[in-house]
Amino acid sequence: MSIFEGFVFRRIDTPIHRLDPRVKFLYTLVTLVLAILFNEFLALFVLFVGQLPLIWVARVQRSWARTMKGSLALVLLIFFTNLLTRWAYAGFRLHPVYLEESLAMTLRFLILVESFSIFSLTTSPDDLSLAMEQAGIPYWFCFAFTTSIRLMPAIARDAQTIVNAQRSRGLELERGNFLTRIKNYIPILVPLIVTTIRRSLELAEAMESRAWGATEKRTSLTQLEMGKTDYIATVFLLILLALAIYIRVSTRIPNLTSLIL
Amino acid sequence: MAVIEARGLTYTYPESKKPALVDVDLVVEEGEFVILTGPSGCGKTTLCRCLNGLIPHFYGGELRGELYVAGMNVKEHKTWELAQHVGLVFQNPENQLFSLTVEKDIAFGPENLGLPREEIRNRVDWALDRTGTTPLRYRAPYELSGGQQQRVAIASTLAMKPKVLVLDEPTSFLDPRGAQRIFETVNRLNKELGITIILVEHRLDLASVYADRVIVMNDGRIALDGTPKEVYLSGETEALGVGVVKVVKLYQLLEETGLRLRDVPISPKEASKLLREVLSP
Repeated sequence: MSIFEGFVFRRIDTPIHRLDPRVKFLYTLVTLVLAILFNEFLALFVLFVGQLPLIWVARVQRSWARTMKGSLALVLLIFFTNLLTRWAYAGFRLHPVYLEESLAMTLRFLILVESFSIFSLTTSPDDLSLAMEQAGIPYWFCFAFTTSIRLMPAIARDAQTIVNAQRSRGLELERGNFLTRIKNYIPILVPLIVTTIRRSLELAEAMESRAWGATEKRTSLTQLEMGKTDYIATVFLLILLALAIYIRVSTRIPNLTSLIL
Repeated sequence: MAVIEARGLTYTYPESKKPALVDVDLVVEEGEFVILTGPSGCGKTTLCRCLNGLIPHFYGGELRGELYVAGMNVKEHKTWELAQHVGLVFQNPENQLFSLTVEKDIAFGPENLGLPREEIRNRVDWALDRTGTTPLRYRAPYELSGGQQQRVAIASTLAMKPKVLVLDEPTSFLDPRGAQRIFETVNRLNKELGITIILVEHRLDLASVYADRVIVMNDGRIALDGTPKEVYLSGETEALGVGVVKVVKLYQLLEETGLRLRDVPISPKEASKLLREVLSP
């Protein structure tokens, strides 16, 4: 579950946390576009390293590192799949360029994880929901969205309790071949689904008891307002995007292998 | 004026043959502090759900008889209407808080009502103040202790400005000190604001001192109903599996051995005062 840890929000006060969620969403979007726009190792490397200072400014380096560690298995999978296909495609011959290209694809994935985790680590789901509401998305959808984020740790805790309970009754999870191992998880899954349904029913009861659905025109205690920094950040992101597109069109980025060899 | 009035209330859950409530007659006056107790499965929770219309609107099933709460027929008014007059606090604090800050959670109800922002802010401030949760305002509910969470849950129903506050075993996940604080908070709401309290509770030793009235349910019916002293002295509570308040038991044991106290104590404090009267010459 450690890959999810990077996505759990904790409220602290940093310039990044204070940014409007819409600006941070734009940032994630721009990074996504940039990561797809370039496939050269050098460009992607700059993009990856360029985001690192944000993590320190937002003081989320520890949870971020844990997400990165959690995604290690996927990273290796992406790297070796890329390398193997290139190797096979070239008639089972290896060339340093393949290594560089595979690394670039892996970096692309890492950049996406990086920017998405910066977004979710520094954006309160409440604010996110508010941003969605102000964008005209129906409230029930926003509520379902934030609730699913909020319940993730609670359900993870339930799962741990059930695992402990079943283990204490002699259930062995790490036994047998792949298929038996999957089967071993059935005694975990069934109670987990039941408790989760029960939990959501209780939640629904509590919502009803607090006048859920009383009016179509729901009001909100807080409202998002774009400040000066938010506008500056937006302009900066747009300039960055334009610049990147310009570089893409006008320049050929050399590959590292040709620079070294 | 009666704020809750039930006549011949009988309810059967869908896909159940046995009724959970049988012919319940109940009148609660405005401003009363009522403890509702009884063995598990006796219908306490079902009665609570009727009071704000979760039964029949959310649960379905068959509701017969009459139930008026704050002058409204429960069958004819939806839960969101009733919720503005009856607040319901649940057993598990975790599943009744939705947001990532306490403040936002308390605002949830008034927001649903579509109140103006200024009014919501005032209600949040007021509810925080009344429940002593102002220091928790910007904290996340999941970081709080069970007792703090439960007080936030009370604040969030309080923000609806209810006439009646129904608490369904609010302390069963709490330690004794947390429970004590809940009872004190609820008692203040009752005495200072005149809010009618229906408290479903097993911890009679701690809660009884605040109550005007104790109702014991059994098997879907009201078995005993009276002042705490009347109910505990009737000697029937133990047979119903509710147990007995320890200081009342002490009073009865002393009486059996020939020592009669001037009055029936409900709290240890009262007991010690009464004992002192007898012991000091």
